[in-house]
Amino acid sequence: MSAVFERAALRPAGRATSPRPVAAAARTAAYVLLAAYTLLVFAPFAWSVITSFKTLPDSVTLGLLPHPASTYGYQKAFTQLNPPLPVLLLNSTLIATTVTVTNVLLGALAGYAFARLRFPGREAIFLAVLGTLMIPDQLRLVPVYQILAGAGLITPGPANYAGVVSILAIRALSIFIMRQYFLTVPYELEEAARLDGAGTFGTFWRIMLPAARPALAAVAILSFQDAWNNFFWPLVILQAPAHWTLPLGLAQFRFLYSTDWPPLMAVTVIATVPVVALYLFFQRHFVSGLVSAAVKG
Amino acid sequence: MIRAARRGRTQRSREAIAGYLFVAIPLTLYAVYQFGALGYAFFISFWRWEILGPTAFVGPHNYQVLLADPAFHRAVVNSVYYAVVVVPCQMALGLVLAVVVNQIWFGRGFFRAAFYFPAIASSAAITVLYIYIMAPDGLFNHLLQLLGANPSLFWNRGNWLGNGATALQSIMVLNVWTTSGTMMLFYLAGLQAIPTDLYEQASVDGAGTWQRFWRITFPMLAPSHYLVAVTSVIGALQLFDQAYIAGGSDGNPNQALLTMVLYLYDVAFRQFEFGYAAAVGIVLFAIIFAATLLQRRFFGEVSWAAAQ
Repeated sequence: MSAVFERAALRPAGRATSPRPVAAAARTAAYVLLAAYTLLVFAPFAWSVITSFKTLPDSVTLGLLPHPASTYGYQKAFTQLNPPLPVLLLNSTLIATTVTVTNVLLGALAGYAFARLRFPGREAIFLAVLGTLMIPDQLRLVPVYQILAGAGLITPGPANYAGVVSILAIRALSIFIMRQYFLTVPYELEEAARLDGAGTFGTFWRIMLPAARPALAAVAILSFQDAWNNFFWPLVILQAPAHWTLPLGLAQFRFLYSTDWPPLMAVTVIATVPVVALYLFFQRHFVSGLVSAAVKG
Repeated sequence: MIRAARRGRTQRSREAIAGYLFVAIPLTLYAVYQFGALGYAFFISFWRWEILGPTAFVGPHNYQVLLADPAFHRAVVNSVYYAVVVVPCQMALGLVLAVVVNQIWFGRGFFRAAFYFPAIASSAAITVLYIYIMAPDGLFNHLLQLLGANPSLFWNRGNWLGNGATALQSIMVLNVWTTSGTMMLFYLAGLQAIPTDLYEQASVDGAGTWQRFWRITFPMLAPSHYLVAVTSVIGALQLFDQAYIAGGSDGNPNQALLTMVLYLYDVAFRQFEFGYAAAVGIVLFAIIFAATLLQRRFFGEVSWAAAQ
């Protein structure tokens, strides 16, 4: 941001205001539109935070501030949810972090192989990886359920997590982002390591992986977000409520307490805060990961 | 010399082995969960297949039943109607946001980050929040009242998601809103790839802002249009989470929210007719595949026309 100000300061004073009134009007119109849309983007989230601190009768009024402010919503969220909120949080965290680790590791390994290692059939295999994007999740619903049932992963218990994790373990997008990044790393880095006698894995692990940190961050964040928010596969596969993730608990809560808005908004806020925190800290990586997929895709 | 060549060969085969090992785990998972599943779904669709497994080979029977199944028809109509409305809206909104954000100079990063914000929250959280806002005594109706309207006199009594005539349309609005930021990012990436001297040349030739947009920006964005359209159509035809959370697995009210995927889920996990559900899945896949081919054709022609 400071660079922007510096550049602005370096500009001749006359150019800061536009020479043409038409352009100035257009720019004003652009900012008005952007400001209006920003309001439209954030207002619903702000409304959920406000409501989460309201009482039930207050939640159906237009009051912009809770009157009176109350922790009724959060209390009910922590006591009425079944399974309890900490269990849901723990399950979501467990699945999301495991899936993040597998996507980063497997994505980096495969991405490196597709970008740098020569092996027969490489391009065809890579096309097949991209081809998986064409197969809708829902078409796979019945067969994947049957495969997991056959492997004993549908029964309630810790094996149930393994079922969800194995489906989300490696997204084609993760491999793709890593491959695109490794293509841009200079060959000299690798050759120096080879000359020092490092093997393929040693070169990958000690030289290439640290060089690909921005791409690793992008994969980690996008995978975490996807797994944390995923609704469909946990709904289908996780059998016992004790193993549910937060989105499933929230949907169930909504079916049971259809118009008890303060606790519903409290759970909504709690489910959204982790990804919002990630987004605020790593916003750059979200955007760069998606954009690299858009440009080359 | 010979030894060096041999060393080169072992070096190469070592590299190949490493390559296969590096991709082995993802490929195994894809072979089972993606390509294997695709073939398996096709296989299952020819059986009467219940929760404990196949009970009878029925040939194309499931597909015949499907053709005459009114609930399936309703699901196809809902899904296609939803896609036909949502895809152009997503594209238009994403394009407008991208072009406007690309025009400005101060605060571009902020707006780009802000508009992507709705896409980061979970579908469950967003949908529950939306149900609250669109409830009869929710924020949306309060705002309408501020504008002087009386939603309780509307034909749906202000019950947007609870009325069959407005439920699907309300979900359309929700998803155009949540995905607009993603579409904007795709378009922004495309805008960055347009050479600036094209605009300079057009300005010299006296083209106005509007003409520059239609003559340069819009046709030059052809690859982005294609990417956005394909992503958006695939997403639209797979609508599930929002419909399920708002209307349950029956697609209430009155099957207004019964989408193809919701029906597939309902047949599989409420009626436990896996064979029939697999057939629904295969038809869904065929529709998505045909739509993607159609778009390729359409956008191929658009970019060809633009080049003329």
